[in-house]
Amino acid sequence: MLHRGDRVEIFRKSDDESWQNYMDEFVGAHGIITDPDTSINDSDALVEVSLVDKGTHRLPQDCIRKLED
Amino acid sequence: MSEISCPVSKTIAELDAMIASNRIKTPKSRRIAEEIRVLMEDVAWGRAGKDHLSAMAKLSQELVKESDTPSCATMGNMIGAALTDHSESFQSHVNTHNCPTGECVNLAPAPCQMACPAGIDIPTYVTLIGMGRYDEAIEVIRKDNPFPWVCGLVCTRPCEFMCVRARIDTPVSIKFLKAYAAEQAMSEGQYRNPPQAPPNGKKVCIVGAGPAGMTAAYYLALKGYGVRVIEQLPMAGGMLMVGIPRYRLPREVIDREVDMIRELGVEFEFNTRFGWRVHINQLRKEGFEAFLFTIGAHKCSPMRVPGENDFAEVFTAVSFLREVALGDREKPGDKVLIIGGGNVAIDSARTCIRLGCKEVVLAYRRTRAEMPADEEEIEQAEEEGVQMNFLTIPVEIVGEEYSMTKMHCVRAELVAREGSTRMSPVPIFGSDFYIEIDAIIVAVGQRIDHTIMSDLPDLDWTRRNTINVNRATMETSLEGVFAAGDDVLGPATVIEAIAGGKKAASAIDRYLHGLPQRQLPPVPVRRSRTEFLKVPASTKMSLKRPEMPLLNYNRRRVTFQQVELGYEENAVREEARRCLRCDICRRCGDCVAVCRDRMGIDALHLGYLDFDHPVKSDFRNVAEKCIACGACAENCKNNAMQIHDEGDERILSLCGIVLNRQKLVFCESCGAVLGPAKYLDYIDKRISQQTTAQNTNRYLCLNCSRKQTAQQHDEQVVPLF
Repeated sequence: MLHRGDRVEIFRKSDDESWQNYMDEFVGAHGIITDPDTSINDSDALVEVSLVDKGTHRLPQDCIRKLED
Repeated sequence: MSEISCPVSKTIAELDAMIASNRIKTPKSRRIAEEIRVLMEDVAWGRAGKDHLSAMAKLSQELVKESDTPSCATMGNMIGAALTDHSESFQSHVNTHNCPTGECVNLAPAPCQMACPAGIDIPTYVTLIGMGRYDEAIEVIRKDNPFPWVCGLVCTRPCEFMCVRARIDTPVSIKFLKAYAAEQAMSEGQYRNPPQAPPNGKKVCIVGAGPAGMTAAYYLALKGYGVRVIEQLPMAGGMLMVGIPRYRLPREVIDREVDMIRELGVEFEFNTRFGWRVHINQLRKEGFEAFLFTIGAHKCSPMRVPGENDFAEVFTAVSFLREVALGDREKPGDKVLIIGGGNVAIDSARTCIRLGCKEVVLAYRRTRAEMPADEEEIEQAEEEGVQMNFLTIPVEIVGEEYSMTKMHCVRAELVAREGSTRMSPVPIFGSDFYIEIDAIIVAVGQRIDHTIMSDLPDLDWTRRNTINVNRATMETSLEGVFAAGDDVLGPATVIEAIAGGKKAASAIDRYLHGLPQRQLPPVPVRRSRTEFLKVPASTKMSLKRPEMPLLNYNRRRVTFQQVELGYEENAVREEARRCLRCDICRRCGDCVAVCRDRMGIDALHLGYLDFDHPVKSDFRNVAEKCIACGACAENCKNNAMQIHDEGDERILSLCGIVLNRQKLVFCESCGAVLGPAKYLDYIDKRISQQTTAQNTNRYLCLNCSRKQTAQQHDEQVVPLF
């Protein structure tokens, strides 16, 4: 479950339909979860993540993994 | 080369390849190509002046005229075309020292600006606020976001999560600074619209007056479009107005910012539901050439338990909050149960408290740690008297004679499911219990009301039941139809809606002018390069993020007055001084490396430079070892680290943070500056040659030292006769 402030990595391309071509360059980027699903903790929801040098985007969760502290 | 997206970097790379290939034969053509290369490099490094672009255009034409080979002419044309096709990007490099793609590394936007979905130039406006220039700060914000005051109160502030200052202590309070500046500018009549382009004769219709729709209306109206906004509610604001309670966002704030958009000539049609009285064909006949749908996600997801549809006392959170926002002050019941753990659930619970409900219980199926609502909101709700029931799963709503009496619930435990890292709530057998209540508010998610879009049967939808768009342009599957906001992203944030509206406005403008659409989402643009606020290192470290003063507890429980009271001016100005100006310091670490590795001093311990592994940073420690040699400043590509002499001192500063001040030593003979004593000692040790005359132990410059040595030599020479 992702929370605001979690440090994450985009570790792969997503299979989700919301993944767009320009997002391929996000793979490998690190960032911070800035707005998880704030309604129901739905693992299928798109979450907002700020990526270092790549801006803030709403991405599917299957491409995101938490970084250890 | 194809991976480079910055037109400046790309042109340099192509130019380099051409020069290296020896395809430019004559010396004159080669000279021109190299001159262009030098000027282009200036642009990439932020050194270019206002004449650089015209000079490069002229040189590229000369190159075409002088063409000794076909490839020479091709290069001239290529440069000319790059300057024309990407003039906006070239101008951005020159005028604001900004490389929107971040490839010209020292000109890339700051992390906070990159994090803002709307791409607001945060370091610039924070600095302007620190100088007390609030109206200019608002002007900068509104280049990217027409709702600075609203966002100053309710933004989820992704910028603060990426704030580099957080790696030292706490992030700069960007959100509240913005709110203060907006309030101040509005109060003083300094909150103004920028100049508007003359009408271009084209009309755009926007369906939905929420943050996305209003943002698009603002930017389109500024470009000279005739804009009509159709809104189902009796006022503008959308979810800002009917989804966010007044104690968080006063109505006057929304009204004042909407008025600024209305001033631009945007026409509103309230109490009008698209698809009922107004249809797309009819609007097309009226001359509207493009449509933007920003209808939000105003429908509540069902709880799916028996009894949910059987009692009048079961409310959806969205409709409950809407009715209260529209003026209904009747409490739903004395004992109210809220189902859900998100922000909407918390808003509903706190609203119930204010309406006078005696007992407000929030039931959530996981634990507090999993609650998706903001921590501060949860804390404030608890302070106000909301009771939390965690690990509680609703089973059935029970009632007698059309009136509900209690909620049948069951306790849950969190269990790790196979193949998932998420802990899922599982009912505990036999743990059933009942909560006595007389109203329930269901807050378990929101979705889009599809029926509004029935006029567009061919519109493409995603499997999440959101409108399918190209996220770079917000174009839908239908020609001339765009969408932005929650109807595209699902229930998201205000700032994302604003960003979507801005993106859609830009795409509509391109569409109506027959220009090709962008292939990538827009990247933030730096709006200026503002001078630094000068702050001593000790002050920079000791300044603390101010606490937000809150309305007293009793008044919070009985009124809808704004809970967060805002900062005082002094706190705002001080807080702005905590900003590290990451728009200028790129955190490349060159200064640290040169000080440690080449000079062997190791005075700069700037642990915050590393995103993944930040370690302790303290600007005050720099002065302990620093010899004020200036090697760091000399190697700083972006002029963030600066060294200069002021009176009898040498001052080293990083983006205005005074890291070191050392008394200068002057030549005792001619008065020339020799440098600080520590630096001179370092030189003495490093090289055996001395700047001081050893035998006299006086501080002398090289010239005077030579003269003295010569004089001593003369005195020691034995006369010939």
